[in-house]
Amino acid sequence: MARTRSKPAAKVSKETIPPETIAPAALPPSAADPPRLFILPKDTSPDSRIVTLSHPATATPTRYYFCPEKGFYEFTKIAAPRSSPRSWLLAPPRIQKTDIDSKSNAAKEDTASVDKGYITKSADLFIATPLDILFLLLPALAPKSTPKEHQKQLFLSLDDHLDTLAATSPHLRQLLRTPKLKERIAKRMESVADIVDAGDEKMYRLSYPRLVSILLQKAERMAANGLPASMEEKFVRSALDVPILDIPREDSGISVFESSEAVDLQSQTTTATTPTGDSQTTVKSETTEATSTTSLQPPAISAPEGIPHLLRLRTALSLLLSLVPPTLHTAINASLVAPTIDFTPLTTHLAHLSSLRQKSAALRSVSDNISRKRAFDEDADEQAEIRAEKRRKKEEDEKRKKSESRGLKQLRKADTSGMKKLSSFFTAKPAVKK
Amino acid sequence: MLEARLEQANLLKKVVDAIKDLVQDCNFDCNDSGIALQAMDNSHVALVSMMLKSESFSPFRCDRNIALGINLTSLTKVLRAAQNEDILTLKAEDAPDVVNLVFESAESDRISEYDIKLMDIDQEHLGIPETEYAATISMPSAEFQRICRDLMALSESVSIECSKEGVKFACQGDIGSGSVTLRSHTNVDKPEMNVEIDLTEPVSLTFSLKYLVGFCKASSLSGQVKLCLSNEVPLLVEYALANNSYLRFYLAPKIGDEE
Repeated sequence: MARTRSKPAAKVSKETIPPETIAPAALPPSAADPPRLFILPKDTSPDSRIVTLSHPATATPTRYYFCPEKGFYEFTKIAAPRSSPRSWLLAPPRIQKTDIDSKSNAAKEDTASVDKGYITKSADLFIATPLDILFLLLPALAPKSTPKEHQKQLFLSLDDHLDTLAATSPHLRQLLRTPKLKERIAKRMESVADIVDAGDEKMYRLSYPRLVSILLQKAERMAANGLPASMEEKFVRSALDVPILDIPREDSGISVFESSEAVDLQSQTTTATTPTGDSQTTVKSETTEATSTTSLQPPAISAPEGIPHLLRLRTALSLLLSLVPPTLHTAINASLVAPTIDFTPLTTHLAHLSSLRQKSAALRSVSDNISRKRAFDEDADEQAEIRAEKRRKKEEDEKRKKSESRGLKQLRKADTSGMKKLSSFFTAKPAVKK
Repeated sequence: MLEARLEQANLLKKVVDAIKDLVQDCNFDCNDSGIALQAMDNSHVALVSMMLKSESFSPFRCDRNIALGINLTSLTKVLRAAQNEDILTLKAEDAPDVVNLVFESAESDRISEYDIKLMDIDQEHLGIPETEYAATISMPSAEFQRICRDLMALSESVSIECSKEGVKFACQGDIGSGSVTLRSHTNVDKPEMNVEIDLTEPVSLTFSLKYLVGFCKASSLSGQVKLCLSNEVPLLVEYALANNSYLRFYLAPKIGDEE
């Protein structure tokens, strides 16, 4: 009854609400090349400009902001997620109410200022962030192809290096004419290269240990101040997430298996701390000591001491390497070993975690079933109906069996092996006469 | 509207008795030619086919085709209330919920009336073709019943071999083996004791004795039983009733089970 009643009701509601029609407002056509929004550094010299240089790692032409005083800035595009489209409304600053009294025609200007507002369709924002000149120099210093072991790179003068660099982009050639920049480049070059004096000229060659130590310094600084929250979440927290194996279901057979899993885990971890049970609290305090940043996050990362720091360091390094020519990557990665920095505890811990994750994924199918059962509770009525139907059928079947005559029961025991069904001899009549 | 009056309740009682140990529920299909029934046992290896022609009833009236789905156990219970010599009347509406049975005693003025609730039964109907059987044996139904019961003591299955010599019912069991052979035989005084064998080619088939013993419950319906056999075809056991009515049983042979 309820089912049939609901239908006409819906119909009525449909009729009562007429579809609203909104007359489209006449808008000016959107510009083909809309203005973009930039956030630029403060107090830059008036000679600052946007230049196109080749990207140090990918060699694709990329726009940079250059200030003769302060150096290079790279642009970071911040866009609204596709799921929530936004736009910018750009308008000149409104004049305060108190100012209106002082200015005679302020009111007029106020309305005008709103009229002058501009809406950009895309909510992209470009932020200029300082870029170490070093990264721009690296393509020139780096060998064109991965060098062979014995083939040493040649020492070259600064001008030679700059020539190869200028060849990549005409804008840079222009910029290199300013003596200030050249001076700065030479200074930076010294920090990363081996130098030989050849008469009155200094000759430079890329020094891997220096480059690595500079990169490590940068990475340490990034890690020390704490990675940005989104990076911390994605690369550190989730990577160190210990899969939850111990679902509190003591009476189920699965938990027995899980507890044995936990014991396994204890024996596997080489470090003294164990990531299970009540020892978790001690781990928390240790990690906060190691890096001050973790105290900002509400739940502590449960991992042996030093591991989060190492992971942060490695994440920072991998981010830095995205600015380094790929030909240098193998050499840099090769020198990131024991004496400079030891990542082995981290790799062993991560391998252990991944094995745990696989195990928990194997267990998940069981817990998935449980959650699915809960979800079905929503249409409990329907479920109950089906169950009642099943029960009714079962009872009917039982009743039928009970009411069977003795002869029928006897016949059930008859050996019918080797006997074909009669339907294989006689064909079924197409229509049952009624 | 169905109204069928049977002079003797005995007939229906015996028919239902013979079927009830083979099938639980079945449809009685009523039309103007009479009341028909076709049903298979749970294992679908045996089939019972009954036809009670309209001539067997007096009077018989059936305006429309009606299927009466009846639980045979319930019908047996009700029929037990009828005396053998009672006049039985079956009544049903065109779209019936119940079938009405009235038993009238001829001697006393006793009228008993029962309603049985009907069921919706989904049964597949098999089309049974007219078959020329290789061997047709007519014999006293009591004789067939006795053979089946005797051999049942030894084994679960019987081989029926039909040749010029006669018909041989043979079985082999754990305790030994046994066989009964019948030859054509004509008894002038008592024609119901005749044994007739009509053979076009020799036949040898094996059947489940449990089913055959079940069929033999119909023995009281008719003095003679007809067995029709052909290789690789179900056995037909027919009990002929008055007015071309009949009760037939079909049983699938045992194939490839020759131990």
